[in-house]
Amino acid sequence: MTTRPWLSHYSSGVDPDLAPPAFAHLPALVKASSAEYAKTIAFTQCMPNGMNGSLTYAQVDELSDDFAAYLREVVGLAQGDRVAVQMPNCLSYPIVAFGIMKAGCVLVNTNPLYTAPEMAYQFADSGAKALVVVDMFANRLPDVLAKTSIETVIAVKISEFFPPVIAGVIRLVQKLWTRSLPKITVEHEAFRKVLAQGRAAKSANAAEGYLIGVGHDTVAALQYTGGTTGVSKGAMLSHGNLVFNTLQMISMCGVYMRPGKEIVVTALPLYHIFAFTVNLLGFYHIGARNILVPTPRPPSNLKRVLENYKVTWLSGVNTLFNALLNERWFTDSPPKHLVASAAGGMALHESVASRWREVTGTPIVEGYGLTESSPVLTFNPLGGMGKDGTIGIPVPSTEVRCVDDSGATLPVGEAGELVARGPQVMLGYWQREDETAETLKDGWLHTGDIAQMDSDGYFTIVDRKKDMILVSGFNVYPNEVEEQIGAVAGVLEVGVIGVPDERTGEKVRAFVVASTPPPTEASIIAYCKEHLAAYKAPQSVTFVEDIPKSPIGKILRRELRAQVLADSTTKGQA
Amino acid sequence: MIPAPLITLMQTEVSPQDVVTPFEQNLMVGLVFVIMFGLGAGLTPRDFRLAIRRPWGLIIGWVTQFGIMPLLAFLLVIGFLYQLPREYAAPVALGALLMGSVPAGTTSNIFTYFSKGNLALSVIMTTNSTLWAILMTPIVLVLYGRVLFPDENEFQIPIFNIVVTLVLLLLPVIGGMIIRRYSANIGAVMELLGGFFGLFFIVFLMATWVPRNWVLLSDTPWQTYVVAIGLGLFGIFIAYLLARAIRLHPMNARTVALETGIQNGPLALAIVLLTFEDHPDLGLILIIPALYSLFIVIVATLVTFWFRRANVAEEQKIPNLL
Repeated sequence: MTTRPWLSHYSSGVDPDLAPPAFAHLPALVKASSAEYAKTIAFTQCMPNGMNGSLTYAQVDELSDDFAAYLREVVGLAQGDRVAVQMPNCLSYPIVAFGIMKAGCVLVNTNPLYTAPEMAYQFADSGAKALVVVDMFANRLPDVLAKTSIETVIAVKISEFFPPVIAGVIRLVQKLWTRSLPKITVEHEAFRKVLAQGRAAKSANAAEGYLIGVGHDTVAALQYTGGTTGVSKGAMLSHGNLVFNTLQMISMCGVYMRPGKEIVVTALPLYHIFAFTVNLLGFYHIGARNILVPTPRPPSNLKRVLENYKVTWLSGVNTLFNALLNERWFTDSPPKHLVASAAGGMALHESVASRWREVTGTPIVEGYGLTESSPVLTFNPLGGMGKDGTIGIPVPSTEVRCVDDSGATLPVGEAGELVARGPQVMLGYWQREDETAETLKDGWLHTGDIAQMDSDGYFTIVDRKKDMILVSGFNVYPNEVEEQIGAVAGVLEVGVIGVPDERTGEKVRAFVVASTPPPTEASIIAYCKEHLAAYKAPQSVTFVEDIPKSPIGKILRRELRAQVLADSTTKGQA
Repeated sequence: MIPAPLITLMQTEVSPQDVVTPFEQNLMVGLVFVIMFGLGAGLTPRDFRLAIRRPWGLIIGWVTQFGIMPLLAFLLVIGFLYQLPREYAAPVALGALLMGSVPAGTTSNIFTYFSKGNLALSVIMTTNSTLWAILMTPIVLVLYGRVLFPDENEFQIPIFNIVVTLVLLLLPVIGGMIIRRYSANIGAVMELLGGFFGLFFIVFLMATWVPRNWVLLSDTPWQTYVVAIGLGLFGIFIAYLLARAIRLHPMNARTVALETGIQNGPLALAIVLLTFEDHPDLGLILIIPALYSLFIVIVATLVTFWFRRANVAEEQKIPNLL
């Protein structure tokens, strides 16, 4: 038993050990809220110009039943089959995600920004049999599908479930003005037709059958992440993981999450575990209205959302909060009904946090977690004692400690690897036993982050053990970027590190030893953008004489970082 | 000695019906209405509160509108038009001075919209200058009119017409705002349609007006063109430099510039038509307002492309989140 000094800092009414949840699986959790809040609006999708469409809890429930029936009866999928989903925040997302789970299938969230090779890898690795994709991105499929076991492709419109005239105007603008509707050349089904087929085929008895044997230990989602090693792999998140984490997160927010009263802005993508658990599951569970924003770029896209809805909650990353604080329309009339904001994904800067409180007059708290932990591990208690710069205290039913290399717990104030145990920790990595064994030891998740705990039980991240770069909450693995740059003609050696950046937390910088003729910085960046998702491409390339290496030739990124740090301090003094 | 071509010009019968037909007048009113409705659908009361809380844009707008524009018109008349024979120059100059003295035009809102400028500031500036015009337009007209036309009779400024225009301008804006409050969807469609039809009608008016008035255009001396084009072009640049000089936010400086340079052409035309209905030189008085209205569309379009690039470049770039 570890010591848990944080227990006394929970807000009143928080049970440090959650009772076993009443829900056997996610569909049960979804069903319960759908019944309780049936007539309430569950989701509203708001476009940058204010055009919007909405679905009630009852509609979401029914349509996701239809989709589940389609997957099982029409496509013929079986329990445990993987279904990949690739779309930005839109009304179809909850229907698809809930539908997959109701069918007893496994959700594979996929970043729409991925390039064809990245998509092919993830689809093939997960063994997905079906893909639900937004039509705007479907042009990459011809190169991808042949390398995967995907047999069914379902195309979704961004304007799905909008009032007909509005949907028509959006389609027209997409077709004629933004030209963002490529022709889909692969065989596919339209989402609306698919739902109609499911509706025709569904029956209540069959729906129960889809979930026989599905329980807390059944895999609900394969959430892809580089983990600590950088090779992309699927974290197996079970129904129990996600149900527990939803309830853990809600309990930390206490009275700030008022059932049936909240309006939350979901500007972060739902395919990411943070928004998935916190916004989609958490706020759905308490009967909130979720305002889905397809893209918060530029941040002025959120103007209409905040004007038209009495927003009470905002979840985001440091970058988003900072961006809003730099928008005049936001600081001049901050949302009046805001109750609280939650930050995750990357460190929330203390300056951003304090400005946010000053401008909005509401609390903002930082949490911490990993894809492998569904994701929330720690959270600053809302209404209790929050400490800026810390990641807060462990959520209920969760043990967190800092350990040394031998695995021994370190005393208060000493930095060591943060390890965690709790019902939200994943089952393991999909078909990667070796990597699972390295990350999960005796049930303890080894995060690779170096942290220390203070005497109150608050944790602070001091460093990352791994070399992973965190760009706006996206993991970038130097290995992957180095591999691409190494393929550019004229590159002899390359080392990639993250350097601090005001807006994105960190940015990718490459150090290159070039031969003659040397490649240009622009050509290297362009090559990376072609082969990697844009956020992975380096922001700058520095040409150097040599790159520090260990005796066995391993690039010493730590020394590269030290060089950058030294350079910036000398520049600062000059 | 009067050069031969000018004698021909003065003898050319410039029919007021040719310069602006009643159909075009009606279309212009409809156009203004549709555009203002669409603009209103894009605004919230909050936007107006913000503009009032930061009144520098309004103050500088007032100064440029009633200080710089009439002065610019006056200088252009003295520098260029008055080199021409007085029989031709005087009535044309009257149109030019009026063009410089009217308030800001509603089309400035459209260009601000397309240039991604501060639309609320633009609308509130238009409203502000239109309200002030009831007082200021007569004052500046009399002030400069005494110098330019020492012998001619004073003009009657039709206050009633200006008030009507003001109401015309505000009603659809309020209507748009109300609709948008109750349905963001309809509001957004109105906003799109307003912009679309606004653009369509402007292009339509230009495409039909130019060929019909080809003779008039080719007979008009270059000095008249300098005044008609220069009023808008120099107005935009002077206001921009001034706004930047007092360190207005660059986006607001661009908004003030477009707002200042773009005058209410239709209002000037309407004032001329109603006030000088039986005047023998009516056709000549109409020339500058008509030419100005034509060229300001071209000038403002070019400026808008430039401003839009600048405004977009200043938009916050944030990376993909998560």
